[in-house]
Amino acid sequence: MRNVWAETGNYKTDYRQDSSIFATRLEQLSLIGFLLALFLLPLFLSRTQMFVADLIVIYALAVLGLNIITGYAGLINIGQAAFMGVGAYTAALLAPGLPFWLTIPIGGLVAALAGAVVGIPSLRIKHLYLAIATLAFQVIFEWIVGHSPLLKQGGAIPMPRVVFLGYRVGYKNHYYFWYFVALVVLILLAFAFRNLLRTRFGRALVAVRDNDRAADAMGMHPGLTKIFAFALGAFYAGVAGGLYAYFSRAVVIEDYMLPVSIKFLAMAIVGGLGSLPGSFFGPAFLVLLDLNMEDFANWMKRLGLSYAGVDIASAMRPLTFGLVIVLFLVFEPRGLANWWRLVRNYFKNWPFRY
Amino acid sequence: MAQLEVENVTLVFGGLAALSAVSLEVEEGELVSIIGPNGAGKTSLLNCISGFYHPTRGRIRFEGHDLTHASPHTATRYGIARAFQNIELFSGLTVLENLLLARYTHLGYGLAAASVYYGRAQEAEVRARALVEEVIDFMELEPYRKAPVGNLPYGVRKRVEVARALALEPKLLLLDEPMAGMTLEEKEDMVRFILDVRSERGTTIVLIEHDLGVVMDISDRVYVLDFGEVIASGPPREVAENPRVLEAYVGGEA
Repeated sequence: MRNVWAETGNYKTDYRQDSSIFATRLEQLSLIGFLLALFLLPLFLSRTQMFVADLIVIYALAVLGLNIITGYAGLINIGQAAFMGVGAYTAALLAPGLPFWLTIPIGGLVAALAGAVVGIPSLRIKHLYLAIATLAFQVIFEWIVGHSPLLKQGGAIPMPRVVFLGYRVGYKNHYYFWYFVALVVLILLAFAFRNLLRTRFGRALVAVRDNDRAADAMGMHPGLTKIFAFALGAFYAGVAGGLYAYFSRAVVIEDYMLPVSIKFLAMAIVGGLGSLPGSFFGPAFLVLLDLNMEDFANWMKRLGLSYAGVDIASAMRPLTFGLVIVLFLVFEPRGLANWWRLVRNYFKNWPFRY
Repeated sequence: MAQLEVENVTLVFGGLAALSAVSLEVEEGELVSIIGPNGAGKTSLLNCISGFYHPTRGRIRFEGHDLTHASPHTATRYGIARAFQNIELFSGLTVLENLLLARYTHLGYGLAAASVYYGRAQEAEVRARALVEEVIDFMELEPYRKAPVGNLPYGVRKRVEVARALALEPKLLLLDEPMAGMTLEEKEDMVRFILDVRSERGTTIVLIEHDLGVVMDISDRVYVLDFGEVIASGPPREVAENPRVLEAYVGGEA
């Protein structure tokens, strides 16, 4: 008899079972339960807390895209925020005429196109040199936006409030509405990528990361595979950008500049490069850490702690951010996802571990 | 017309000729070995056939297709598979995933079908899995199916390398020192695998190997390279008695 609660003692009898995402019914049920909990979360959170929840979900989408490019395909990308910006500005330009459920996917597609173009140098160059090419894209993006009257030279382009199925999203329910939209999009796109991972497309990404000579000998075009990786990852970023534009009610260049790209890289590393759950752990962990440091800094400020006239409190946030990244690189380079993996493996054969 | 024809191939790196006017023919179903001292150009020749190098002069044809300027993935699509001398596996993936990668071009489904993993994509994946399992069975890799390749012992990784080439279902199999650095027992296993590939699948095989005992035992014909030139070719027994071969291997008269 099949054990539905634990994997131990189960024998797979066909290949379809072996390639399923969930090893047991329990795993499937716990994920469904967790997702339900996420959908019920707004019942318990205030409007300000919802702001944070929105931020985490949207960042998770962008970091998932970065993980596709950098974690799975092994192409360092220092321009993820710019891809996000392409999606955001596309949505901003189309928003006056089109509904959000069109502008956001279109933004994703335009970003994917930008990603494919940025990926073209990967036909020739590799590793750090390719990373510089993505950095160049980030700089070019910032320059173009900064000099374009159409994009208000990087100043705020307001985003309209949306009406969905006759339901007008106003001040009070803004963050709740976008939480649900972003969450649904994230779940769909995460499942799509999880499915890709068990097909030829997912394996091809890892193949060009591990050994592109051998990938070539397997009959795939390594360069085109890398361009595909860039386009796919940029699509996720572009969709995240569109969501971010509506969520923040205005598109401003500061939200899509180099420091944000670096922040995404940090989130991907802390979460775990090349891990799907890591793409969610990283943003959640760093956004919450940042928030708690802010509280901590304010508390210190009230105590009047300062040194030589410098406000220690305001230095706390960047300092802890840097410290956390260094600690992860040294002690857990595989990120939070590795802890998750260890816990899961412990229970895999539980209770018969020998 | 032979299945593989290498005509007067010359390969020059800077001023150095790695291969000079090498000609070679392999008939369908043959097992041909290439031997020669270190640096003779054996691997360079294999690199030319599989598309990693392009000859400076000369021509390479496979089943009527011109491969002289083809890239590795084109050569693979025509039915040429290769096992590398220095193991070139995807170390982060499992044995199973490594072999499934060899089915990349055979899996024809598109991105949309793959992202929902339903219908065509799933069926194609299951079929690919069944085929790959046959290769795993053939190469006796069952215990390692789900193990990441990077953690496996050297002898097993060499076997995975050959298995991955087989999973491409090639017409021509290029083996670059598949037995280098193996124990006697592992070597015997590998020879058995090579002979089985030949008898069960009828695959043409080009083998580079340093173990002359193995080469003389299993080859139909042998080519001997020295300093980028073919110095002898023919059935193993003839080649072994050729004075130029003895000179290249043992050295000239002192």
